[in-house]
Amino acid sequence: MDKLLKTSFLGKTYPSPLVLASGVLGLTADSMKRVLDAGAGAVTTKSFGLEPRKGHPCPAILPFDGGLINAVGLSNPGVDEMVKEIRKLREQAGSSSGIFASVFGRTHEEFGEVTRRAVEFEPNLIEVNVSCPNVSSEFGTPFGANEMDVEHITRIVKKAAGSIPVSIKLTIHCPSLIRMAKICEENGADAITAINTVGPGMLIDTGVMKPVLANTVGGVSGPAIFPLALKAVYEICGNTRLPVIGTGGVRTADEALQMIMAGARMVSIGSGVYYGDIELFTRINRDLRSWMKERDIKNLKEFRGVVHE
Amino acid sequence: MSDLMRTYPVLNVKSHSPVMKSFYFRQPVPDIQPGRFFNVWLPGVDEKPFSVSDVYQGIMEITVKAVGPFTRKMMDVRRGDLLGLRGPFGRGFSHHQHALLVGGGMGVVPLRYLARQLRQRGFHFEVLLGGRCGQDIPFQNDFSEWAPTTFVTDDGSLGYKGLVADYMQDKIRESRLSFVYSSGPEAMLVKVMDLAAQAGLDYEISFERYMKCGIGICGQCVVDGSGIRLCKEGPVLTRQEAEKVSEWGLPHRDATGRRNNS
Ligand SMILES: Cc1cc2nc3c(=O)[nH]c(=O)nc-3n(C[C@H](O)[C@H](O)[C@H](O)COP(=O)(O)OP(=O)(O)OC[C@H]3O[C@@H](n4cnc5c(N)ncnc54)[C@H](O)[C@@H]3O)c2cc1C
Ligand SMILES: Cc1cc2nc3c(=O)[nH]c(=O)nc-3n(C[C@H](O)[C@H](O)[C@H](O)COP(=O)(O)O)c2cc1C
Ligand code: FES
Repeated sequence: MDKLLKTSFLGKTYPSPLVLASGVLGLTADSMKRVLDAGAGAVTTKSFGLEPRKGHPCPAILPFDGGLINAVGLSNPGVDEMVKEIRKLREQAGSSSGIFASVFGRTHEEFGEVTRRAVEFEPNLIEVNVSCPNVSSEFGTPFGANEMDVEHITRIVKKAAGSIPVSIKLTIHCPSLIRMAKICEENGADAITAINTVGPGMLIDTGVMKPVLANTVGGVSGPAIFPLALKAVYEICGNTRLPVIGTGGVRTADEALQMIMAGARMVSIGSGVYYGDIELFTRINRDLRSWMKERDIKNLKEFRGVVHE
Repeated sequence: MSDLMRTYPVLNVKSHSPVMKSFYFRQPVPDIQPGRFFNVWLPGVDEKPFSVSDVYQGIMEITVKAVGPFTRKMMDVRRGDLLGLRGPFGRGFSHHQHALLVGGGMGVVPLRYLARQLRQRGFHFEVLLGGRCGQDIPFQNDFSEWAPTTFVTDDGSLGYKGLVADYMQDKIRESRLSFVYSSGPEAMLVKVMDLAAQAGLDYEISFERYMKCGIGICGQCVVDGSGIRLCKEGPVLTRQEAEKVSEWGLPHRDATGRRNNS
């Protein structure tokens, strides 16, 4: 394992601080294996629930000048199918590979049920998606906006997860992100993933004078949200003791460094795959290494959270 | 950037049969390789992938067969309507001499544009096309005009009666063909790959999977055995790439990502 990039997180050690974010290439073992091979320290599955879901019609994922906008609508093959894929990934990638399982539920109880099923394949982490903005018309406001919901779901998932650590994935769309992170901490969460997509936002085609996304609105990700994500990570790291997976708009080693300097333990990348493809993980690892070598830095710890000092 | 959504007016519509139409647009980007595809957005309905069936004198053609809700709605599209186009996505065919083009059903669509380019280069090639019936096979005149062409249909209504694969072996044996291009139903493609490999021929084959984003990030079109994303590293695969895939002939994943076993 690369000494420079070696990352310890919740009792496990990963070869790189980079993680594949949920929702991007996280549907099958073979694509997640490719991302691990390219140098990601861990991969997060697409969020899955109890039942298969088709999601919204297309266009569901669109690039625009500043990033991506998506309203996939939590399409997923359901927990049974995902457990199969993740088992396969475990076999292919080895027992030490980093696999994070992202779960969601339509009700508080469902979060617990999906988690109980997901722990069967012993993921390294259960990531709890309380923050998807694309299905609010169906599920009501995202749970992540409500303190009581987050508190309750955190407790339920923690109980269902047993010895597997739990990260709550937060949205910046809540009255106070700091308060929300503290609630996660107080209720037993082991980590925070910040942030999910921002918005929702929308795009209109001026030719047909109609919204372009089939769902009209969708979550915004990619470069447009990097400063928002960075500030969220900075705030959570400054106000809780929980380790944070920094997520949002990272496309370069410099942006990954900024996340780590703001305090992130791991840095996850989703939309970056659109800009730099799968090899982005290889390139960022390489650039992080040379940045550290140039400064004679031996370990990520040396500069993690420096901006708080 | 061509990945961004933009709407274009339909310049013309041509009917091939009651359930098959071509739509013509101003060519949105230069140099479109045959085999690549566009995501076509019917505003207010849905967006689906379609191969380029031709690019000629600055006009691009897309050819659609009505098989379900989206493609049936496409049959109502009129000249002047605005459709969204994103693309071209994926990798297309490269150019080879002495090739056999093997197409089945709507698989003949990308081969039509390939045939135009091979002919423009003065390459020798031959064509073998199959379908359920004669009406199922578009562009018969173009293919016949540009190259020696054999038709095979299930019901014998055009050319030989039978399956494409039955005639492919003879074609390869008889002539000096050294390369195979193929596109069509997967059962046919599996046979074509087998026969080509047996004959020691190199090939490029176009595959289909359920697609959502077209830009290599949603993971919907990934095939097992390789992690190849057909929207990005395909839809056309080389022999080396295709041989790595372990799921040819299996049920495809549906919109949920589940293998559709029905
Ligand atoms: C790279 C590529 C190129 C294609 N080129 C052409 C073409 O040139 N002409 C043509 O008529 N058809 C083409 N197709 C197929 C076309 O996309 C489907 O026929 C169309 O999406 C069917 O939609 P529907 O709602 O009418 O039918 P449905 O009833 O929804 O489905 C009918 C069939 O189409 C498949 N399908 C549905 N949605 C998608 C999707 N989003 N992506 C892939 N497959 C889907 C289904 O799995 C099923 O097998 C192409 C497909 C791909 C992947
Ligand atoms: C196409 C797409 C699908 C996504 N699906 C999920 C999902 O299923 N679950 C989830 O927790 N986050 C999902 N996200 C959010 C990402 O995991 C990430 O939090 C967000 O996009 C910000 O990071 P990025 O800018 O690196 O993409 C999705 C994002 C995109 C672009
Ligand atoms: S269609 Fe989304 S990755 Fe290929």
